[in-house]
Amino acid sequence: MPQQIIQPIASSFRDPSGFVFEKDGTLYRQVNDIFKQDFDHFISSGCYDHFVEKQWLIPHEEITHNLTGRAGWYKTLKPQRVPFITYPYEWCFDMLKDAALLTLELAREGTRFGVILKDATPFNVQWSQGKPVFIDTLSFEKYHATKPWIAYRQFCESFLSPLLLMHYSHQPLQSLLVSYAEGIPLSVTKSLLPWRSKFSFYTYLHIHMHERLASKSRSKERYPENSPLSGRQGFSEKKLHRLLDSLQSLVHSLEFKGSSTAWDQYYDEANQRKDYLLQKRKIMIEWLSELPETVTAIDLGANEGTFSFLLSARNMATIATDSDHSSINKLYRKIKQEKEKNILPLLMDLANPTPAIGLNNDERNSFIERTNCDLGLALALVHHLAIGKNIPLEKIAGFFEKLANHFIIEFIPKQDEKVQLMLSQKKDIYSDYTNDNFEVAFQKYFLIKKKQVIGNSGRTLYLMRKYA
Amino acid sequence: MTPHLLYIDPGSGSYLIQVIIAGALGIAFFFKNIGRLFKNAWWYVKSFFTGSQKNNS
Repeated sequence: MPQQIIQPIASSFRDPSGFVFEKDGTLYRQVNDIFKQDFDHFISSGCYDHFVEKQWLIPHEEITHNLTGRAGWYKTLKPQRVPFITYPYEWCFDMLKDAALLTLELAREGTRFGVILKDATPFNVQWSQGKPVFIDTLSFEKYHATKPWIAYRQFCESFLSPLLLMHYSHQPLQSLLVSYAEGIPLSVTKSLLPWRSKFSFYTYLHIHMHERLASKSRSKERYPENSPLSGRQGFSEKKLHRLLDSLQSLVHSLEFKGSSTAWDQYYDEANQRKDYLLQKRKIMIEWLSELPETVTAIDLGANEGTFSFLLSARNMATIATDSDHSSINKLYRKIKQEKEKNILPLLMDLANPTPAIGLNNDERNSFIERTNCDLGLALALVHHLAIGKNIPLEKIAGFFEKLANHFIIEFIPKQDEKVQLMLSQKKDIYSDYTNDNFEVAFQKYFLIKKKQVIGNSGRTLYLMRKYA
Repeated sequence: MTPHLLYIDPGSGSYLIQVIIAGALGIAFFFKNIGRLFKNAWWYVKSFFTGSQKNNS
């Protein structure tokens, strides 16, 4: 019987240099023979060591044998695994900006070793220990100074375009990247940017002029590679550095100045009910001490992450999600400032979580497919889903069941002033929204282990465990 | 759309365009340097008359 050939993972098919595969629960990357010279140069030049030392690139171990049984094998690498895979449409503005700066840094620094970055897609950047890290070891090839940067257009479309659009519109436009996963076409970006963006010299060059020249000169791209008219002879390292420096300077200057949202003052306001927050914290700490095996956690509706930090302090790798861009951006800045390593902030609308996209709809996995945590937190969240988004309690329970094995959930009754405030704007069609119905709905999926009213707030905390 | 455009890989990196953009950046860099030169010259003339020292800290 022939040996079963291991297939690459669903997202690893574009680059013939190699592919990523999984065997016995471990992730590996195969380097193909076709990429031998470039890969050897990347390692022997010291570029790999330099990038790993700077913590810009994920480190790997070399495995000496062919684990896939495929022809064209050169080497097998065992990269350090990133705890949780995320996608650019789940990152806040500052995360995308930092990923862009890392990409440019890799491209520029690589030339010192005679290496150039051939891919500039944000999908090659992931988050580890609070910082962006490049994961595609096969994205570095030998640098030829006469050739321009092959990833230039890709960088402009997949990093610069969304950053500029968010900078100028003051709107979080991450969802655009779901539709344009390979980057927002320059023609689209150009048409959406305000006229005044032309007064920014670098924006004018990299977007407006770039698009205009691209639409005019497409026919010239048909010249053979070595023809002087192809433009491949007229470049130099100095020119490349100027190009990269101008991109870096432009990205550095971009900021997200979104208008304030209802959630901006959430904890300032909640702090006025200090006793309530203290009581809630106390109960949480007590319950967390009873869950010593918990390694991974997800804080749903984390706002600025007050309780995510509580989990992180207990050494739990915590994903902090919120649909409010401003909150997640603030949380990310706080993580950077405090050098927090355990929290991964993510932009996520729980009523419409990230779908699976790409080829066969399995190139980029859905949020649910990727999430399987030991513990979930849903504090002051259920009423937003049940009353704010009209989602029946049983559907919320069914959704939570897919995310974590244990849950700490706060139920806020209808009489609560916050729920009353929500209901003042809409007709009360929520007769099912009661404490009893909440328990019935969640008991279909979870065993209620503990239940405690928080002080005299009327709000109840539940500790639940998913049925085995 | 003309048929040949369908065969151009959009990820091919805008080669010719980069040459033009890098050229434009080079010109900008040249004028920036000239501007800096004039600024420095002006500072020396000014300091000659006022006797002030350049702060290099």
